[in-house]
Amino acid sequence: MERPHDLGGEPAGPVDRREHEVEDWERLTDAITIALDRKGVKTTDEHRRAIESLPDYRELSYYERWAAATENLLVEKGLLSREEIDARAAELSRAWGER
Amino acid sequence: MSPFEPGDRVRVLDLGKPGHVRTPRYVRGKTGRVERALGEFRNPEDLAYGGDGLPRRGLYRVAFDQRELWEGYEGPAGDSLYVDVYEHWLEGA
Repeated sequence: MERPHDLGGEPAGPVDRREHEVEDWERLTDAITIALDRKGVKTTDEHRRAIESLPDYRELSYYERWAAATENLLVEKGLLSREEIDARAAELSRAWGER
Repeated sequence: MSPFEPGDRVRVLDLGKPGHVRTPRYVRGKTGRVERALGEFRNPEDLAYGGDGLPRRGLYRVAFDQRELWEGYEGPAGDSLYVDVYEHWLEGA
């Protein structure tokens, strides 16, 4: 019933305050998500709901959650299919020669 | 029209509502004091599922005594924690 983000009061260790360089895919993920909001494709609240619904929420990094949630919302809304997303990802992976 | 005024004592309801809600579980059932009314906003619990979020709901900044929230709280007496809570999660206390 409770969602994985609702952590307040749970036992926890120290906060990891290490900084890291923002990677290109993270910038892209941020840009795409905000652009979809601005175009009225989805709302911040849908984005949050989709993030909280990720079964592997605790294993994912911040922008991995964003990317997974955006993918799920686009599929949910019928704008893209999993097959289209996977095919495009495979194409980019070949073109960029990594991942 | 606002059902609550600054200074009012309020209790947070435990609505048991599934899905996306913005009332953290550690304040549910707890009593606090309305700090101020923040205005009316489209309901995020409805917006989260593609709805229009209407009618707009009043949002209140509620101050809780930390000792009320956490058993064995060791910080100074008078420490407060502020949470923004929508009116349908509140009742007068």
